[in-house]
Amino acid sequence: MSGSGPSLLWIDWRPYRGPTGRETAVRFLVLFLVASYFLGMFSSGGVDRFLAEEFTMTAILRGGVPDEEGAGIAGKVGALPHVREAVYRNPDEAWEEFLESYPGLESLRGGGRNPLPGYVDVRLRPGGLSEEGIEKVRSSLEPLPQVEKILSGGTLMPRLLRMKRWANALLWAGFALACGVFLAVLGMQERARAQRLLPDVSFLVERGVSGGRIVVRRAAGAAVVGAALALLAVSASVGALHFVTDAFPFLRAAVGPVRELFDSRIASPVWPFLLSAAALQGIASLLAGSAAFPKGK
Amino acid sequence: MTLSVAGGEMWVVTGPPSSGKTLLLQILRGERRPDSGDVHVSGKSLYRDDPAHNRKFRASSGVVPECLSPEEGRTVADLFRLSSLVAGGVSPSERKGRTEELLAMVGLPETEETKVARLSVSERARMALAVELFRSPDYLFLDMLLENSGQGWADRLGAILRALAKGGRTILLAERRLPEKWQAGRIPPPASAEPFRLYRLTGPSPERKGGTESPPPGEDAPLPMTAREGE
Repeated sequence: MSGSGPSLLWIDWRPYRGPTGRETAVRFLVLFLVASYFLGMFSSGGVDRFLAEEFTMTAILRGGVPDEEGAGIAGKVGALPHVREAVYRNPDEAWEEFLESYPGLESLRGGGRNPLPGYVDVRLRPGGLSEEGIEKVRSSLEPLPQVEKILSGGTLMPRLLRMKRWANALLWAGFALACGVFLAVLGMQERARAQRLLPDVSFLVERGVSGGRIVVRRAAGAAVVGAALALLAVSASVGALHFVTDAFPFLRAAVGPVRELFDSRIASPVWPFLLSAAALQGIASLLAGSAAFPKGK
Repeated sequence: MTLSVAGGEMWVVTGPPSSGKTLLLQILRGERRPDSGDVHVSGKSLYRDDPAHNRKFRASSGVVPECLSPEEGRTVADLFRLSSLVAGGVSPSERKGRTEELLAMVGLPETEETKVARLSVSERARMALAVELFRSPDYLFLDMLLENSGQGWADRLGAILRALAKGGRTILLAERRLPEKWQAGRIPPPASAEPFRLYRLTGPSPERKGGTESPPPGEDAPLPMTAREGE
């Protein structure tokens, strides 16, 4: 006899294409949700991106600082690793912003003199919004003679940062829960598959096929299918995030633009995620494999 | 009991229900370890030597059990697919061709997509034989095949089995009684006494009555097997 023929790798798929297909669809859905949560968390840093967007450090400059010096200070601060952007606003721009916020107070500008000084607005990166990041920016600005005062949240800041850490911990706990749900679904499905296969495995074992070979080949097949499923789930998640952040701008503020998902900082954890998803499915098949054997064999 | 079966022989064990016919076949096939005694195939024990030898022997033998389950959800083609999994290296087209040929031989043409549960007991028994023959086994262990297939099929199946034995395959049948037409032929006296009787129906040569010598090994000759009591 010659040729390839059926393989133990795919023994779960015939004759149970229907139930196995349905289970695989459920597995894909759960993986898709887990992958979306995973990518969303890495892109958003939990609440980091949202808070970093809202929080600004302001360095108020002394009166009379020339615009070139103000812009130079902004450039120097902007180059710090924790800083996303630093923008200099001259006194006239500061006055325009003040009137926008508080209309009808033009009379404050008595005698043509602008009472407001220039300032540098500093926005931190999501990952830089921490005691360390704030302190690094502060320590780079404080020695400068042009800087009169630095506003950075005052006494509220430590509490805000503590709440940020708790919120992130809760969100990561949510991810762990999603992974737990995936594992539970995986375990139930693999046990059901193994029990369905009992007659087939009995047939094979009675005819001299090694039980170990059946279990290992099945597990390998499950890992291969698992890898393909995980890849599809991640791809679908990227598409879904793109759609959702386009449709809901507040989500874009929290998660960030989808193009950043391809940044190595976020893309590199995706590979361990894919490998783990594939390996877990293979291991679940291996562990549940004994249920496919008649008792005592 | 000491039993020696050579390649190309056909043996029938007969006896009333619960006389131990099925148990004997299971022991000889390496499925069930005897309380005492042993089974040797090609000089090696099925139970005391390397388990791989037992698996190899079972892979080279076909079995049709007495009770055939309805195999819920499976079609006839699914069972042939399982058989080809055991055989290994069978292409889909080859499997299809052999399946059609074997099913036609046992009177079940074009039943590949039929659910096994919808077959009658006789059809299931014949289908089970065809599934085992798919792998061209060297040994066949057939439990109540003729009884389950019905009187109408006893002659035809008997002819198929004799042809297989002439081709060098070793066949062990368990039946309640020897078919009448077979009794009319020149059958040597039974090889054992109660509770069951063993009949050797064909052999590689008329001189080999006791069956204690194995045929000269040829390239395709099945491994000779012996069963001894009390070892």
